[in-house]
Amino acid sequence: MTEFFFNLTWLIPLFPLASFAIIVLWTNRNRLLSTWIAWIGIGLAWILGWAILFLAWGHSSELTPPTHGYPVPLYSIPTGTTELQLGFQVDTLTGLMLFMVPFVCLMIFIYSKGYMNYGRENVDPRYSRFFAYISLFACGMLGLVISDNFVTLLIFWEVMGLCSYLLIGFWFDKSYSDPKRITPKQAGLKAFLTTRIGDVIMLAGMLLLYSQVKTLTFREIFSEETLHHLATTYAFPGMPWATLCAILIFGGAVGKSAQFPLHVWLPDAMEGPTPVSALIHAATMVSAGVYLVARSFPLFVAVEGGVQLAVVAFIGAFTALFSSTIAVAQNDIKRVLAYSTVSQLGYMIAALGIGAYVAAVFHLITHAFFKALLFLGSGSVIHGVEHGHHETHHGSHGHEFDANDMMNMGGLLQRMPVTGWTFIIGALALTGIFPWAGFWSKDEILADAWNAFQHGGHFGVSSGWAFFVWLFLTLAAFLTAFYTGRQIFLTFAGTPRTEAARHAPESVPSMTWPLIILAGFATFLGLFGTPWANQFYQLIGQKAEVLGEHLPHGEFNPLVAGISTVVALSGWFIAWLIYGREPLTNPVDPLEKRLGRLYIWLKNKWYFDELYMNYIVHPSVRLAQACFAFDDKLVIDPLVDAFGRFGRWLSEWLKDAVDIPIVDGIVNGVGSVTAKFGEFMRATQTGKVQNYLLVAAVTVLLLLVLFVVRA
Amino acid sequence: MQVPLSWYLIVAAALFCIGLYGALSRRNAIGILMGVELMLNSVNINLLAFWRHIEVARGTLTGQVFAIIVITVAAAEAAVGLALIISAYRHRKTVDVEDMDLMKL
Amino acid sequence: MEQLLTFITFVPLLGALLILLIPKEEERTIKNLSVGISFIPLLLSIYLWFAYDKAASGFQFEVMARWIPAINVNYHVGADGLSIPLIFLTALLTTLSLIYSSFTITRRVKEFFLLFLLLEMGMFGVFVSLDLVLFYVFWEIGLVPMYLLIGIWGQPKDRPQYSAIKFFLYTLAGSVCMLLAILGLYFYHGTFDIVKLSQELGPGKPLGPVFGGVSWLAIAAFWAFFVAFAIKVPLWPFHTWLPDAHTAAPTAGSVILAGILLKLGGFGMMRIALPIFPEQFWMYTWRVPIIPVLALLSIVYGALVCMAQWDLKRLIAYSSVSHMGYFMLGVAATAAAWGQANLRDAAAMASNGAAMQMFNHGIITGGLFFLVGVIYERAHTRDLQDFGGLSKVTPYYYGIFMVTALASLGLPGLAGFWAEFFVFRGAFEIIPWFAAIGVLGIVFTAAYILWKIIQYVFLGDFDAHKWEKVTHGAKLTDMFAFEKVTMWPLVLFMIGFGIFPTPLVDFFNTFAQALLGG
Repeated sequence: MTEFFFNLTWLIPLFPLASFAIIVLWTNRNRLLSTWIAWIGIGLAWILGWAILFLAWGHSSELTPPTHGYPVPLYSIPTGTTELQLGFQVDTLTGLMLFMVPFVCLMIFIYSKGYMNYGRENVDPRYSRFFAYISLFACGMLGLVISDNFVTLLIFWEVMGLCSYLLIGFWFDKSYSDPKRITPKQAGLKAFLTTRIGDVIMLAGMLLLYSQVKTLTFREIFSEETLHHLATTYAFPGMPWATLCAILIFGGAVGKSAQFPLHVWLPDAMEGPTPVSALIHAATMVSAGVYLVARSFPLFVAVEGGVQLAVVAFIGAFTALFSSTIAVAQNDIKRVLAYSTVSQLGYMIAALGIGAYVAAVFHLITHAFFKALLFLGSGSVIHGVEHGHHETHHGSHGHEFDANDMMNMGGLLQRMPVTGWTFIIGALALTGIFPWAGFWSKDEILADAWNAFQHGGHFGVSSGWAFFVWLFLTLAAFLTAFYTGRQIFLTFAGTPRTEAARHAPESVPSMTWPLIILAGFATFLGLFGTPWANQFYQLIGQKAEVLGEHLPHGEFNPLVAGISTVVALSGWFIAWLIYGREPLTNPVDPLEKRLGRLYIWLKNKWYFDELYMNYIVHPSVRLAQACFAFDDKLVIDPLVDAFGRFGRWLSEWLKDAVDIPIVDGIVNGVGSVTAKFGEFMRATQTGKVQNYLLVAAVTVLLLLVLFVVRA
Repeated sequence: MQVPLSWYLIVAAALFCIGLYGALSRRNAIGILMGVELMLNSVNINLLAFWRHIEVARGTLTGQVFAIIVITVAAAEAAVGLALIISAYRHRKTVDVEDMDLMKL
Repeated sequence: MEQLLTFITFVPLLGALLILLIPKEEERTIKNLSVGISFIPLLLSIYLWFAYDKAASGFQFEVMARWIPAINVNYHVGADGLSIPLIFLTALLTTLSLIYSSFTITRRVKEFFLLFLLLEMGMFGVFVSLDLVLFYVFWEIGLVPMYLLIGIWGQPKDRPQYSAIKFFLYTLAGSVCMLLAILGLYFYHGTFDIVKLSQELGPGKPLGPVFGGVSWLAIAAFWAFFVAFAIKVPLWPFHTWLPDAHTAAPTAGSVILAGILLKLGGFGMMRIALPIFPEQFWMYTWRVPIIPVLALLSIVYGALVCMAQWDLKRLIAYSSVSHMGYFMLGVAATAAAWGQANLRDAAAMASNGAAMQMFNHGIITGGLFFLVGVIYERAHTRDLQDFGGLSKVTPYYYGIFMVTALASLGLPGLAGFWAEFFVFRGAFEIIPWFAAIGVLGIVFTAAYILWKIIQYVFLGDFDAHKWEKVTHGAKLTDMFAFEKVTMWPLVLFMIGFGIFPTPLVDFFNTFAQALLGG
């Protein structure tokens, strides 16, 4: 029974893939049918995924990563005398991801029907295509989490990258009057290319790893001998292969999980439809990077105290703080959430960097639920405000109204109670308020960091490093509470600041029900990971045999919990002081006055976009133009043409200087000599037969004489 | 008593020289033709003389056969030659070879 | 079926002769007949695909007949794991090109189809030849029809005569070098037989070391072959004939040019240069790494030049330079592993990757040229700035183009990925620094495909007025049935070999095993 289901694992990504194919090829015109096909696809994946999760839970001791998975081989590719085996697997980490991914996807799919205005006059013209794309997307994420090797993982990883490109640029025909504002098509391109940079680095890491260990299957790479081999052979002096490969593979995670310095794509990805933002930025794609690091965690800790963990911890902690500072100064409701996502992903990465593997996965799961909730809630808000705008401005399109701008909202709690309250629940979970899910998972990360500081870290993580991580994450927690509070107060509290907000209706049930369900998860999910009964540790924490030591257990630390609670509450309080006490009436942020130039700096996202534009993108384009000029106008092609022209000139010259005077001269000379001789001989031709006869007779006579004399 | 071979040869040589002289010196085309005929006949004499002195003992007929062929050819030659001369005479009213230099342009 | 390869090679010639007998006014008959004829080698090559015994590997369906006994030239043909997929590719692309052309060619129909079939014969001949003289003859035969195809049916505004002559002379210059090297091999070793030369040359083997150990002769001969093939591949800096020829050629001509003719060069590298001159190849990839540097320049520089193009067709032509650079990197890695037993599997993977890159590039870039033809037939312009928002008006075209473009940028899950994966897998183990620079090309490839092609042509809002202005009121329709028929087989292969590449790799792996086995 168990094995029967495990052997069906390959079907999980196939269901949504089939939905994609069917919608694209056949049912594109029928919107309702396409919706149902997408729902059925993800629904079947969900049911099968949960079945496998619960079966795996029952056998968790035999299915512990990294080496104990249930293999579901697919096929192999010959590589010289060896073969590259591809396949899927079931283990507890996969099971956990299968708990989160298909369910959140299902919620988002259901929500999308209402969001894309099914059944109304302003239904999206590419409605069915949307469902096809998100189905393919779900296929990518589901395939990724069940892969048992790096190649299959990379394939699904890139399928997701493609879908994010397609979905972010879904409204590719949109353009804005502000030429500086990024359009969806540019945002899609930016997302794809930025993550592609990370992917290429990851590909290099994978291939180097493959070269060293001759296999890409996780179970085999993460075995003790292989890891030992990787940790004791050196790519360069002082740089074991394990360290090099880990850092390179981490490059992929940096791109996909939008970590500094490749974070720039994620906020702009908000140009896509909101369910996409939820799908990409909460539940699935961005967490794929974290999943990758968690999955290859044994590689990251193969070298005790190696530089790779420090890199991971630094990037995670820095990103967590850095992006939460930016979130403070954004007015776009989705952009705030986007930076919040970057920041939360930084938490997970930082947790992995100090060895808190279980806490990172725990936070990954809870974050997926409450961030999906927040994104869907923000979508609901935007949707409501847009409707309100349509209601109040019948057919007048003169002025561009930004329904995403929080300055255009206010007082929405009365107009949209379900959206509002679920959003607030999500916000409480995000800011780590007891007893919501975020409290438990975030607290576990902070507690692990604190413990590593106090007692020295696992895997050779230095305590100074751990303190640094703890400090950054705590500061980020404060900012998180502040910007989330700011968002709540600006959006839901006070009085409406525009006519559109005043007339915003509550969303349809197909949108609000997913919100309610997700809010339930955001509230109770943390109970599975409390320090006293941590199911996550039970499931994935027991990898001692390979990793050489026990993982941090996430002991409850009242001091840490107290500090983080105080910090979060003070964040909320300051937000209330600025935005809640006196509700805004005019769309000017009071923060702008108080922070001055810092505010401008933050609003412009530390000017990273400009930096990359001026120092990477434009030089590349100029280099391309220079290469083309070199190729076509300056050197290579002109050389080829010059060669051709030289050939023609040479032939002309040969004709004039050699052929006509010399070669032709000789030929003509022979002719004229012959002609002269002929003229001379002509005289002997009298035309008289008797003369000829005489000559003949004389000749014969002479011959006779000669004959006689000789004889 | 047999006439010795050399006698025949002397006669034939004399005849040949007369014919050659005639062919080279006559200006009348018919005269030239007659000279040629004489030369041919001198050859016939030689052929038959050699036959008589060499071939009779062997019992072959090569000399005679050749003589007959030469006579035939001579007859043909005379016929064609005369026809040509008559034709030339009709066109030019002369058979003087000095005037017939059309081959030289 | 002993003469299978002979049939495959000469059936197109037979078809060409038949077409010669049809009056030129009977255009429909000519078109139908030539398409019909081209199905024969296609079916035979499918049979060949399945009839080849991969377990036995080596050359099969061999035919050996004396041709010019005085100098020991034989009609020696055979197929192995390298040539069978390429033969199939040739047959497939030719059939599709003929189908496509039978709807788009209206001028001088008889000559066009006649030449196309002759071209097909030349290409098959190169892939099956196991005798250097035969190889050379077929190599040159293919040149003439393509020269005429470009010169006669080219677009007048693209300087077809200039491009055709450039193409012809450039290739000829290379093949003259090759001819000298072939003669050199004959004078030293007394045979033109490729199998014999590749198996029996070398110290301690029956024919002794190549050129009797005279190293400068061997080096000169190696470079002669290499340059001849590099021009055809084309490798930087011998590539400038390519954009001109592609831009000027009619659609089907471009497809064959990119799809097959470039592969002739690659095939020559792997069939002749690698097995006969392994030591020289190794010298210039490992000791003096000229060849990997050229490959890298092709990859990165080619991709950069693509980013600066505004002519869609020229862009895709330059992308061939970049993509064949991956091929060359794979070959270089294989060559660099010469004589190192511990790198044998890595070399096999690099060789598999290179061979796959040839096959996949044929399918993908062939498809891209068809797709450029589709839009050019409608708009009569290829300037990227003239387009925009086509995905709204022609969604079917967008979908097909998207799949092809993504395959071209090496998206995992589509055919192009596996080739790059294995090339880099081999290269990262054998010549890691070059591989590390080469992967940069992947980013630039994504940039020019998504930014230049997809964004400029398909995304944005469709502006009907602009379209009317630049195309002089041409009608914009989605793909016609014949265009779909042409594209679908290619798309299916891109997806099929992307998801399940094993059947293809199986072939190339037998070749790699044989190559590295000795």
